[in-house]
Amino acid sequence: MNKILEIRNLSKSYGRKGYKTMVLQDISMDIYEGDFIAIMGPSGSGKTTLLNLLSTLDKPDRGEILLEGDNVIKMKNKKLSLIRRDKIGFIFQDYNLLDNMTLQDNIALPLTLNGVSPEKTIQKVQEKAVRFGLEAHLKKYPYQLSGGQKQRAASARALITNPRILFADEPTGALDSRSSRDLLCCLKAANEEGSATILMVTHDVYTASYAKQVYFLRDGQIQCRLNHRGNRKEFYEEIMQMLASMGGEQE
Amino acid sequence: MSLFRLALSNFKRSVREFGMLILSLTVSVCVLFNFQNVIYADSMDVLLEFNKDYIDMIMQAATVVFLVFLFFFIWYATNVFLNQRKKEIGIYIFMGLDNGRIGRMYALESILIGSFSLAAGLFCGIVFSKFFQMLLLKLSEISVDIQFSFSWKPLVVPSVTFAVIYGFMTMKGCYTLKTSSVLNLLSGSRQKEIKPEKKLVTAFRIITGIGILGAGYGFAWHTEGLDALNHALIAVVLVIAGVYLLYSGFIPAILRALTRNKNYLYKRERNLWVNSLAFRIKKNYRTYAMVTVLMICAVTVMAISIAMKQRYEKINYFGQVYSCQVISNESLNGEEIAEGIGQENQVEYWNEVSCLVLSPELLHTPYQEWVYMAAPYSQVKEAAERAGLEFEYKELKDSQVIQLSHEILLSLAGNDWDREVEIGQETYQVIAEDKTPYLGNMQNQATIYIVSDGLYEKLESEAAGGMNYYLYNYRIQDPENLDASKEYLGSLSQTEEEGGKFVGVMYSQSEQKDDSWIRIMYSLCLFMFATLMLACGTIIFMKVSNDVYEDKERYRVLEKLGIPREVLCRSVRKEISFAYYCPFLLMCVTSFFSVHALGNVMQEDLLRVNLWSAAAILGVFTVICLLSVKGAQRRLFMPGK
Repeated sequence: MNKILEIRNLSKSYGRKGYKTMVLQDISMDIYEGDFIAIMGPSGSGKTTLLNLLSTLDKPDRGEILLEGDNVIKMKNKKLSLIRRDKIGFIFQDYNLLDNMTLQDNIALPLTLNGVSPEKTIQKVQEKAVRFGLEAHLKKYPYQLSGGQKQRAASARALITNPRILFADEPTGALDSRSSRDLLCCLKAANEEGSATILMVTHDVYTASYAKQVYFLRDGQIQCRLNHRGNRKEFYEEIMQMLASMGGEQE
Repeated sequence: MSLFRLALSNFKRSVREFGMLILSLTVSVCVLFNFQNVIYADSMDVLLEFNKDYIDMIMQAATVVFLVFLFFFIWYATNVFLNQRKKEIGIYIFMGLDNGRIGRMYALESILIGSFSLAAGLFCGIVFSKFFQMLLLKLSEISVDIQFSFSWKPLVVPSVTFAVIYGFMTMKGCYTLKTSSVLNLLSGSRQKEIKPEKKLVTAFRIITGIGILGAGYGFAWHTEGLDALNHALIAVVLVIAGVYLLYSGFIPAILRALTRNKNYLYKRERNLWVNSLAFRIKKNYRTYAMVTVLMICAVTVMAISIAMKQRYEKINYFGQVYSCQVISNESLNGEEIAEGIGQENQVEYWNEVSCLVLSPELLHTPYQEWVYMAAPYSQVKEAAERAGLEFEYKELKDSQVIQLSHEILLSLAGNDWDREVEIGQETYQVIAEDKTPYLGNMQNQATIYIVSDGLYEKLESEAAGGMNYYLYNYRIQDPENLDASKEYLGSLSQTEEEGGKFVGVMYSQSEQKDDSWIRIMYSLCLFMFATLMLACGTIIFMKVSNDVYEDKERYRVLEKLGIPREVLCRSVRKEISFAYYCPFLLMCVTSFFSVHALGNVMQEDLLRVNLWSAAAILGVFTVICLLSVKGAQRRLFMPGK
C-alpha cells in the first residue's frame, strides 16, 4: 500500500522561552492509502495540535511531515495552499459551509476554484450528493438544513477533489446520535468503496469505533494503538477498556 | 467601571475603528459651516457690491440641499456604526447589563462621537474658512482681498441642525437596541438568510422598475417648450422611483439568474463573488440606489454649473464684439467717427450696416412693443467679414430671410423658431436663426431679419411706417480704455425735435458686477459636485467596510480549505468593484437623459460636460475602489487585523 503521510519525531510547544509547554513530543507514525484513523485522548493531550500540524495549518518546532514524500514543513505558504487545495480535505466541527451559497455551490466550490469545467463539476457534485444522501437538498442554503445534513455536505465538499487524505476535527461533535451515525456511515463508505484516507480527531468512543485504527494520545505522546479486527461493537468495547486502563479523563 | 468610562474607552477605540465615519461627519460639518460663513462672515462684506443678496440666496439654497444630503448621510453612518457594534453590545447583555443601560451607554458613545465630529468639523471649518472663501472667489473669478474673520452666526445652523439630526438618529439607535432580542444583537448585522420573495412581487418590481425608469427617461428626453419644467419634475420623481425599483427587482433577478446558471457560475471565482452579491443585494440595494441618485445629482449639478458658465460667457462675448455702436437716423461718415475714436484708442475694426425698422403691424405680431428690423444681406456679410465673424450663408433669395437673435441665460421657450414670417402680404421662409452678434447689442434690442438686397430695397420703398437707421460699430483694441473716447462719442449724440436728426451711442458693458452671482453659482455647483462625488465614494467605502467585517470568518474558512490567497483577493476585488461600478454604470445611463433635459432648457450641448463629469466620478471611484480593495485585503488576510 502507498504511504501517504510519514510523521517523524514531531514536537511542538507553546509559550515564550522559559515558560514553554510541550504539547507534542517525538510523535512518529505512518499513514497509508485507505487508512481510517481516529485519534483519541484527554483534554490537553495534543490531538488538535497534531491535526493542525498534519493538515499544514501550523508548523512544528521539530520533526518532519512527509506528504507523499514531500516535506511540508519546508514549504512556503503559497505551495502549502496548493497542497491543501489539491491533496488535503477538511471537515470541521462547525461545518464551515458558506452561508451565502446553496449546498450545490458549496460542494462545487473547491472544483470551481481549481478550474474544473462546469459540466464535470456538476456531474461530480451530483455523484457526491448521492453518496452523502443530499440529492434533495442541493438547492437549499445551509440555514435551511439540519446539523447532520450540513456536516454531510461539508464532507462531500471535502471529498469532491479526491484528496489524498481527509482530516476531520471532531466531525460529530455538534451532531445528535442519529446524524452522527449517518455521517460516519458515509465516511466509512467513502473509505471502503472510494478508498479515501481519513484521519479524524474525536473524543467520542462511538465515533472512533468506525475507524480502522485508533491512536491514544496522552501528554503529547502516542500511548498505544488499537486495530479494528472484529465487528464494530467489539471494537467499541476494546476502546472503552483501553480508555479505562489508561485512566485518563476523557474530554 | 462606570458607564461613562466604558463609553469613553469604547469611543477611543471607535476613533480608530470608525475613523472613516468620523472623518465623513467632520467634513460634512466643515462644509456646512463654510456655506453659512459666506453668508454671515464680515470678511465677505466685500461682496456687497457684487449683488450679495443673490449670493446669500444661493448659499441658503445650497445649505438646504446639503442638509437633505446630511440627513441621509448621518442616517446611513449611524446605522453602520450601530450594526457593527450590535454583537459587542449583545455580549454586554450576557455580562449583566440591561437593555436600558446598554441604550444609555450607546447614547453616550454616540454623543461622544457626534460631539467630537461636530467640534472637529467646526474647528476645521473655521481654520479653512479663509481658504474656502478664497477658493470660491478664485473659481468665480472675483478678485477681492479676503481677510480672516470670525463670527458666531455661521456656527448656529451647522451646530443646531447637526445636533438635531444626529440626536434623532442616536435616539432611534437606542430604541432599536431597547427593542432588539439578545439573539438579534449577537448575530449583529450579519445576514443569515436570503429572504425569499413571491415571484409575482419580483415580476411586479422588475416590470414597474423598467417601465417607470423608461418613462422617466422619456419625460427627460422631451423637455422642450413650455412643458419643460413639468416634464423635468416628473422625470426626477420617476427616475428616483425607477432606480429604487431596479435595484430591488431587476438587478437582484439578474444576479439570481447568474447563480442559477451553473455553466456561468462555475468558472473562475464567480462561485464566490456572484453568490455573495446575490445574497447581499437585498440588504444593500437601498445604498446602491441612494448612491446612484446622488451621483446623478452630482453630474446634473456639474452640468448646470458648466451650462450657466457657458451661457454667461456667451452673453458677455455678445456684448464685447463691439466696444461701441453709433446709431443714427441719418447717414454719417463712419470713417470720420473711427478717426475720432482713434484719437484716444486704436480701432481694431469697424463696420456699418443700415437697418429698416418694420412696424409690428406689418409683421402681424401681437408683440406691439417690440422692435423689428430688416438688414440687407450684403451689408451684414461685409460687416461680419470686417469683424472677423463667420458668415456662411449663400446669397439669399428674395423669398428667404435669416432671423438674428441673442443669447439668454435660461429659456423654456425651446429651440424652435418660426420657419416662416409674414411681412406685409408676403410670406418669407426663415432659413435659420442665428445668434452670432453681427450687429452686436442691437440684437438684444430688436428682432432683426437679414433679407436679400432686393427685398430690402423693396421693403424700403413699400413698408409703411418703415424708418431707416444707420448702425456704425467699432471695436477698440483696449476696451478698458473706452472711457477715454467717451467724450468724443458723447459729442456725437444728439436728439432733435420729432422728425429731426437723432444720433445715439451704445457702449459695450464690461462684465457686470450684478451678474457675479452666476459665477458664484458656478463655483458653488462645482463644489457641490466634488462634495457629492466624494460623499458617494465614502458611502460605498463604508458599506464595503461593513461587508468585509462580516466576511472575515468566511475568508478564514476558505483559506483553511486551501483556496490560494490570490484567488480570494481576485474574488474580493470583483465583489467590491461591483459595489462601485454598478451604480456608476446606471448613473452614466441616467445622467445622459438628465443632462440632455438640462441641455434642452439651457439650449446648450452638454454631452461633453456629461462625459467629463462621468470621467471625473470614474477616476475618484477607481481610487476609492482601490483603497477599499487594499483595505479589505489587509483586513481579511493580514494576521491580527
